[in-house]
Amino acid sequence: MDQSESLWQFMHQQSAKLLQQTMQHIGLTFISLFITVLIGVPLGIYITRHKKAAALVLGFAGVLQTIPSIALLGFMIPVLGIGPVPAITALFLYALLPVIRNTYTGINGVDPGVKEAALAMGMTGWQRLLKVDLVLAFPVIMAGIRTATVINVGVGTLAAYIAAGGLGEFIFGGIALNNTNMILAGAIPAALLAILLDFLLSRVQRMSSKARKTALGALPLVLLLFSSFYLMPLGYNSRLLAGFTPEFMGRKDGDIGLRAVYGLNIRTVVISDAVMYKAIFNKKLDVISGYSTDGRLKAYDLVTLDDDQKIFPPYYAAPVIRKEIVEQYPELAPVLNKLAGKINDSIMTELNYRVEYLNQPAEKTARDFLVAQGLYKTPRNGSKGVIRLGSKIFPEQYILTDMYAMLIRGYTDLQVTSKTGLGGTKICFEALIHNQIDMYPEYTGTALLAILQPPSSETGRLTGNRDSVYNYVRRRFDQEYQLYWLDPIGFNNAYALMMRRGQARQLRIQTISDLTTYLKKDRS
Amino acid sequence: MIAVKNITKTFGSHKAVDNVSFSVKEGENIVFLGTSGCGKTTLLKMINRLLEPDSGEITIGGKPIAGERPEDLRKKIGYVFQNNGLFPHYTIAENIATVPDLLHWDKERTAQRVTELMEKLHLSPAQYRSSYPAALSGGQQQRVGIARALAADPPILLMDEPFGALDPITRAAVKKDFKELDELRSKTIVLVTHDVQEAFELADRIFLMDKGHFIQDGTPDELLFAPKADYVRTFFDEQRFPLEASRIAAGDYPALIRAFDNFKNRHR
Repeated sequence: MDQSESLWQFMHQQSAKLLQQTMQHIGLTFISLFITVLIGVPLGIYITRHKKAAALVLGFAGVLQTIPSIALLGFMIPVLGIGPVPAITALFLYALLPVIRNTYTGINGVDPGVKEAALAMGMTGWQRLLKVDLVLAFPVIMAGIRTATVINVGVGTLAAYIAAGGLGEFIFGGIALNNTNMILAGAIPAALLAILLDFLLSRVQRMSSKARKTALGALPLVLLLFSSFYLMPLGYNSRLLAGFTPEFMGRKDGDIGLRAVYGLNIRTVVISDAVMYKAIFNKKLDVISGYSTDGRLKAYDLVTLDDDQKIFPPYYAAPVIRKEIVEQYPELAPVLNKLAGKINDSIMTELNYRVEYLNQPAEKTARDFLVAQGLYKTPRNGSKGVIRLGSKIFPEQYILTDMYAMLIRGYTDLQVTSKTGLGGTKICFEALIHNQIDMYPEYTGTALLAILQPPSSETGRLTGNRDSVYNYVRRRFDQEYQLYWLDPIGFNNAYALMMRRGQARQLRIQTISDLTTYLKKDRS
Repeated sequence: MIAVKNITKTFGSHKAVDNVSFSVKEGENIVFLGTSGCGKTTLLKMINRLLEPDSGEITIGGKPIAGERPEDLRKKIGYVFQNNGLFPHYTIAENIATVPDLLHWDKERTAQRVTELMEKLHLSPAQYRSSYPAALSGGQQQRVGIARALAADPPILLMDEPFGALDPITRAAVKKDFKELDELRSKTIVLVTHDVQEAFELADRIFLMDKGHFIQDGTPDELLFAPKADYVRTFFDEQRFPLEASRIAAGDYPALIRAFDNFKNRHR
């Protein structure tokens, strides 16, 4: 009961957004459908008359159908950018097969005796098509359009990944934030929309042949009417366009905080982080939300804006290790702390860039860095004991784990085994407290918000100060889990706003406050 | 009226119609008679260009039909299908009005014509005008098919086994009403059938076909009493007695006895 009440509350609170997303969703679906009918039906008719082309056209449309939707959207970014154009194009490509195939099947299914009779009465090919073939094939063609509609409502949720709006914004935001109400607020209307449209079209499909003639004429008008529901995601009339991930949109230390603390009013679209960096690089976006040590910062020549009002909590990385191990091998902690303060944001970005974009092995990257720092020593191959290292499943963690493995082998008589790629925070942490691994690199912000989850009053007091967060998590980990936080490595992999270097320099924007000021000036 | 010169039509390697020539006078009723696959329907369909001959020429009223647009030609030629070929999504009235509508007759004239034809073919206009073909019996559907072919009063009527799909009782009834149509007096009719009785009932002249050729053509009496080939003779043998009996004038008992004797001798 609680769940449903709070879902209702959520939908009520967000009703304006929900309505906008629903309208966008209907609009996207129908614009795509309109184009699909405009192209698919004539194409279906064409292949009934050119049977050799039929296999080719149906095969091609079939292949399009098999491309994963996310991949299809990805292919389109370089060509069509982001926003409604690539979204509608993708929807159109998915809707094409059922419409072409059903037009083809429907017209081929008309009784050949009736077709011959139409010609024998003196109808031209066109007259026969319009008066006989299309009217008799109408139920089959409509069935194809129904299928296409339902596909479009479903795939349409992915439009939120490329800044085209729709109910996907809630769905993917909810998934990222682990907020069930938010997911349902997007998923339930999307499902209802699919059911409703399917039902309405089934009524059209079963219309008497009298009404069909009217329906054939009215179809384009109806499609156009619903298409007009699509309004570009409206925001503020600023020259700069921001693209934020669904997760960032729903976080206090995200869009909500930016508006509340900085008073940032920027035209915003929702976009997936997979395409976000490429989109800002291609100048489709001007500001994005990202992670401050992401290798793509360097790959796409982006700068992070300084969080001068400190709304993003610090995410300083440090090794977390079981107390028992530290006490058993007293020489271990000083060795691990050799890395402390050695890697700042730009160095970590550079290292990530080498692994993510230059495809260098993490191990080589780690060794090169240690050698350059004069920290690398050849392994001693000791046999005193074994340290089990864990890591989450992304390059930065692999690099750090490799560095720690090299340090331990070079400076102590201990051996190392690595259990890298332990999924997310939850898995690493559980492995650690259940004595499956001995240590892994963790981030202060993650430990605070994902593991300890203190009441929001306390979080508010802590965030903004690097040391207070570190001290807080160190104290509570020690007390509650018998885990030690060693010294921070130095970099802060926090949320950050990013811009293209050239544009930021040109507009003289270095901090988020600069950005807010620029946008205010822009409007006045 | 219709003149056909040396036409040939092949489907793949099969010669459906092989170098056939004939002509039909205005107002004449001719029948192509033959077994399935003899080429009679192929021949019929070439007259309104539903099929195009590989070689040869067809003229109607002296003009080669190849020079005319098919749809214009067809509007002047009525066509009745074996399985009626009615448009399932058209009402009976709309079906009958197909050709007048294509010719852009005014609504009132079309409506009058539809009523007239429905009455002549014993389909109650009040009852069936707005019905769809699926609501009618096979015999009624076939009447609509005939009405549709006659609607724009074309000078030529092509009929492809028009009564072939009906049961014997319905067939007799439809055929009777068909024969009574005054509309048909002035029409040139080409009818295709495998039914010998039907050919004898309706034809001024019968063209007996086999393997894409005419074996013999002539009046029913000529084919029956003066066959030029064994094929012709054997073709009619099965039904010779009723056929001969039907050609004998009422009261000519000696002729009837002769015919019966012939029949008995053959079946001894």
